[in-house]
Amino acid sequence: MKKIFSLGLFLVSLYVGAQQVSFEEYDLPNGLHVILHQDNTAPVVITSVAYHVGAKDEDPQRTGFAHFFEHLLFEGTQNIERGEWFKIVSANGGQNNATTNDDRTYYYEVFPSNNLELGLWMESERLLHPIINQIGVDTQNEVVKEERRLRVDNQPYGRILEAVKENIFKKHPYRWTTIGSMEHLDAATLDEFLAFNKKFYVPNNATLVVAGDIDIAKTKKMVEDYFGPIPRGAEISKDFAKEEPITSPIKAEFSDPNIQLPASVIAYRTPSFKTRDARVLDMISTYLSDGKSSVLYKKLVDEQKKALAVQAINLSQEDYSTYIVFGIPMGGTLLSDLVADIDVEITKLQTDLISERDFQKLQNKIENQFVNSNTSVSGIASNLANYHMLYGDTNLINTEIDIYRSITREEIREVAKKYLNPNQRLVLDYVPEKNN
Amino acid sequence: MKRIELKCITIVMAVFFSLTLFAQIDRSQQPKPGPAPKIQLGTPQEFQLNNGLKVLVVENHKLPRVNISLSLDNAPLLEGEKAGVVDIFAAMIGNGTTSIPKDKYNEEVDFLGASINFSGSGAFANSLSKYFPRILKLLADGLQNPLFTEEEFQKEKDKLIEGLKTDAKSVTAAARRVEAALAYGTSHPYGEFVTEASVNNISLADVQRYHQNFFVPENAYLIVVGDVTFSEVKALVEKEFISWTSAKAPNITYTSPSDAQYTQINFVDMPNAVQSEIAVQNLISLKLSDPDYFPLLIANNILGGGANARLFLNLREDKGFTYGAYSRVGNDKRYPVRFVASASVRNAVTDSAVTEFLKEIKKIRTESVTDEELSSAKAEYNGSFVMSLENPQTQARFALNIHTENLPANFYETYLQKINAVTKDDVLRVAKKYYKADNLRIVVTGKASEVLEGLQKLNLPIFYFDKYANKADNPLLKNEDLPTVAPEIVLENYLKAVGGRDKAAAVNSVYSLATMEGAAPFALKVTSKTMVPNKQVAEISADGMGTLQKLVFNGESGYQEAQGQKVSLEGEQLSEQKDERPIFPELYYVQEGYKLSVEGFENVSDQEAYKLKVISPAGKESFRYYAKDSGLLLQTEASMSAQGMTLTQTATYADYRDVSGIKVPFEVTQSVGPQKFTVKFTDIKINEGVSEADFQN
Repeated sequence: MKKIFSLGLFLVSLYVGAQQVSFEEYDLPNGLHVILHQDNTAPVVITSVAYHVGAKDEDPQRTGFAHFFEHLLFEGTQNIERGEWFKIVSANGGQNNATTNDDRTYYYEVFPSNNLELGLWMESERLLHPIINQIGVDTQNEVVKEERRLRVDNQPYGRILEAVKENIFKKHPYRWTTIGSMEHLDAATLDEFLAFNKKFYVPNNATLVVAGDIDIAKTKKMVEDYFGPIPRGAEISKDFAKEEPITSPIKAEFSDPNIQLPASVIAYRTPSFKTRDARVLDMISTYLSDGKSSVLYKKLVDEQKKALAVQAINLSQEDYSTYIVFGIPMGGTLLSDLVADIDVEITKLQTDLISERDFQKLQNKIENQFVNSNTSVSGIASNLANYHMLYGDTNLINTEIDIYRSITREEIREVAKKYLNPNQRLVLDYVPEKNN
Repeated sequence: MKRIELKCITIVMAVFFSLTLFAQIDRSQQPKPGPAPKIQLGTPQEFQLNNGLKVLVVENHKLPRVNISLSLDNAPLLEGEKAGVVDIFAAMIGNGTTSIPKDKYNEEVDFLGASINFSGSGAFANSLSKYFPRILKLLADGLQNPLFTEEEFQKEKDKLIEGLKTDAKSVTAAARRVEAALAYGTSHPYGEFVTEASVNNISLADVQRYHQNFFVPENAYLIVVGDVTFSEVKALVEKEFISWTSAKAPNITYTSPSDAQYTQINFVDMPNAVQSEIAVQNLISLKLSDPDYFPLLIANNILGGGANARLFLNLREDKGFTYGAYSRVGNDKRYPVRFVASASVRNAVTDSAVTEFLKEIKKIRTESVTDEELSSAKAEYNGSFVMSLENPQTQARFALNIHTENLPANFYETYLQKINAVTKDDVLRVAKKYYKADNLRIVVTGKASEVLEGLQKLNLPIFYFDKYANKADNPLLKNEDLPTVAPEIVLENYLKAVGGRDKAAAVNSVYSLATMEGAAPFALKVTSKTMVPNKQVAEISADGMGTLQKLVFNGESGYQEAQGQKVSLEGEQLSEQKDERPIFPELYYVQEGYKLSVEGFENVSDQEAYKLKVISPAGKESFRYYAKDSGLLLQTEASMSAQGMTLTQTATYADYRDVSGIKVPFEVTQSVGPQKFTVKFTDIKINEGVSEADFQN
C-alpha cells in the first residue's frame, strides 16, 4: 500500500473537504518507510520515528525490556553527548518524548518549523549510532522502576491491566504488561540491550513521519541525507504463539493495597484492531458506556445507583484485543450483582437489534470522533505512523471512518453474539488488600 | 609512470567521490536553525450583551467542528462546613432543564455526537459545526434553567461520598490535599477539601443558592472557536442568552495565608506507600501583570520547568531517584499562589531527594544561572509560544487573559520581547525573592516506617499530620515512647512557671483592657473583669459605636447583650458558664473531679509541648498544651457547637509578661472555623479595679 500521492486521491480530498489528510509515502533503499504530511497553516513541524517493536517482542524473562530500551535511547549518540539530548531540544524551542506499548515504540520531537533539520538529525543519530552503556543502564534502571511505582504500584486500581492480561493470555506475549517486572529489569545486561538495538532498531523496521510546516522537496532531500546512509538490518520475522480459544469461564481475584472500594472487571479476548469485528466492538463500547444516555451508565450509575462508575473499553491491539467492562459498585452492591446487571444488557445486544435512533447516535458520535482525531500535526503524525506500521494501510487515516459507517445493526448483534459470551471470559474481583 | 598516474587519479577520484557523498551533511555538527518563522497573532472578534456577558469568537474553518466554553471569572468561595456544594452542583447542572426532562436532554446531546460539561466555574461543549445552533441552545437552557430535584440531589450526594472512598487510600490524592491545606489552611478556598462530613451538611437549597448567586453573567465570558461565522454566533448568542438575568457574583475576601515561620518538614504517614510524595513549597504573590512574572517564569524553567531543568537532570538523570522532578509557580490576581518543587521518589531515597531539592533551591538563589541555561529557557518559551498558535483556542485564551488579568492590550504581542529581555541578574533577584529558602514547607507523604528515620537525620523540625491535614503524633512513637509524666506534674510545672502555686491561688480578681483585630473591619476594644471562682463581665466596644456585645455573669445567673438585646443565659450555656474557671483553672481540676491525661508531645508555636486532655465532670472534652521547657500554657482547644455543627475553637497564648509577680500572656489568638482574631492586652491588673458590684445583673 505504498502509493504515491495521486490525482485521484486529490479529487477525493477536495470532495471530502478539509478533513482529508493528504500525505506522501515511500521507502528508502535501506527499507525505512517515510511518510510526509504538509500543512503550512502553523509554523510547527514534527519529526517522529515509529519502530515495530514493543513489549510483545521481549524475552518472557525480560519483561519491561522494550520500554526500558526506549529510555536508553535518550542517553546520547556518537555525535550527541550523554545529557545533551534534552538540552538540544529545549535550546531550540522544541519538545520531545517517546512512548512504548505492546506493539510499537514511538519517538518524536516537535519544533518550530525552522528546526526541521535538527529533528531529522536527532532521529537519524538515534537510529544510526546510539551510545548504549552501563552508566545509562544503571541510571535508567532506577528511573524506570520509579515510573512503575508512580503509575502502577502507588495508584488505586493501578494493577487491573496486569491482572487481566495474565488471565486472558496464556501463550501470546500480551500476557505481560509493557512496564514489566522490576526483577527482570535488574537481571538485564548491557549485552542484551546492544543485541536488542541491533535486531530491532534498523531502518527496515521503522517508519519516519515528518508532518507540519514543510516543503516536500526539501524535506525529501534532507531525509535522504540523514537517513539514507543508515545500513539496512537483518529481516525480522515475527511468529507469536497463538492463543487457544477461551471456552470456559475464568474466575480470578486480585488484591490492591491502594483501594477501599472493590471493582468488578469482565474481560473477553477479541480480535486484532485490523479486523472489522474490532471496529464493531468499538461501537458496542460506545453504545454501552459512552455518554450519559449510554445503556450501562444510565441503568447502573444513574437509575439504579448500583455503580459509581462503569466503563466498557475495547483495548485493541495488533494481534488480539481485550474487551473490558469495568465497574465500581456503589452502596454495598455485590460484585456478582454488578456482573449480572451488565450481562443483562449484553444479552439484549445479542438478542435484539439496537434501535434506529441509537444506531444513528453511534454514527454521529463516530463522525465527531473522526473530525476531532486529526486536529494537531503531532496527532496526525502519530496516526499516520500507526496506520502504516500496525494496520498496513496509511490511508486508513482518511478511510477508516467508511468502515465504521458501513457497520450495520445486524453486525453489532452478531459480533456481540460471537465474542461477548460468559464462557469466553474472565471475571475478575479486584478487591482491597485485607491486611491494610 | 602512466600506471602510477592512473592510480593517482583513481585515488583522487575515490577521494572526491567519497567527499561529494558526504559533503551533503556533516552529521558531527548539529544543524543550525533556519530563519525564525513569522507568527500571526490573530485576535478574536468580540461583543457584549446588556446583561454583562462578554462573547469572544475565533473563526477557524479548518475542521467542521466548534468548541464553546463559558468561563466565569468569579472570586473563589470558601465552602467551609459545606465543602462539596460546588461538586454536587456541577454534577447536577446540565442534566435537563425546566422544560426538557433529564433523559431527553442527555440523549439529545449524545445523539448529536456532542458533549456538554459543566463545572463550578463554567461549562464546555464540543460539537460538529452543523449542530452548533442546537448545542448552543441546549447549553444556554441548561445553564439558565437547570433542573434541580431532590431525587437527583440525593443521588449526586451519595455518589460524591462514595467517590471519596475511591481515593481514600491513594497516596497521591492524600499528598495533594494536605499540601494545599497546609499551605493555605483549611479556612481558605484554596486549602479546603471535601469530606464525607461536609457533604452530609449540604442541602438542595445550598446547590440552588450557588446557582443563583454564582452562575451570573456579570463576569462571564462565552468563547466560541471553530467553524462558525461571527454574525451567526452573534445572532444565536443574543437569542439564547438575552434572558440570562443580570447579576454580579458575591466577592468575599479571605485572609491571605502566610508561610511557615521557618523551613520545616510536614510529614504524613501512609503505610501503603511505595513512593514518597515530596512537595517543597512556599507562597508567592504573583499576578500575570507583575513585572516579575517573566523573570520568574525563566527562573522556574531553569530550576524545574521540564526535562532540561536542574531538578530533572539532577534527581532523575543523574541520581535516578524519580521518574520526574519538576517545579512550578502559578499566578493569581487575588491570592498568593504556591511555588512547588515536587517529585515522587522511592522510599529509600526520600531524605536524599529532600536534600537535593534544598540544594537546588539554594543554588538558584545564590549563584547566577549560566548563559546557556538562560538562552535555552528563553528558546523554550519562544518555541512553545510559536507552537501554541497551532491551536485556535490559544487566541481565545490570550484574549480572555487580557480581559480578566488586567493586562495591556498588547501583552501577548510583546510576550516574547519580555521573555527575551530577562537577564541573569533578574533571574537571581526573583529567585531570591520568591524561593523562600528560610520559609519552606517540605510536605512529605510516605511510609513512616521506611522513610522517617532518614528524614529525622536532616536536622529540620518535623511536624506530623494525618491524611486530612490534622495534626498527628509521630507515627513511629509507640506507646512506651509517650511521655510518662503525670498530668498533675504538668499542671504543677505550669503553676511554678507563672510564679508559684501560692501566688496563683492568691489571685482573686483580674481586670484587663485589650484591643481585638481580625474580627471586624475596625478596631475593637475589649474590657474584661473576672473574679474567683467564676464571676465574669466582658464588654466589646468600638469607638463611636459604643457597646457592641456584653456578657455579665455573677456566678449563678447572667445575660448576654448584643445590639441592645438582652438574652438570659439558660440551659447548657448557663451550666457551661457556671463550670468555667476564668482564673487559673489548673487550680481546680483535681478537686472538682476533672479527668486528666497526658496524650503525648506536639509542636505548638514552635515549641515541644505536653498535650493534656481534660474532661469535665459534665463530660466536656478539651485539650491544653504546656511547653515542655518553660512550662507555660501555649494553646487550648475545645470543640463548640454552632448551628448544629461542631467546630474546634483554638486559642494560642503568647507574649508572657510579669504582672504583680505573675506571668500573664499579653497576646491571645483565637480561631473558630474560618474566623481568626488576635486580642492584644494593653492593661492587666491583678486584685485591683474589680469589685463584686461589677457582676450584678
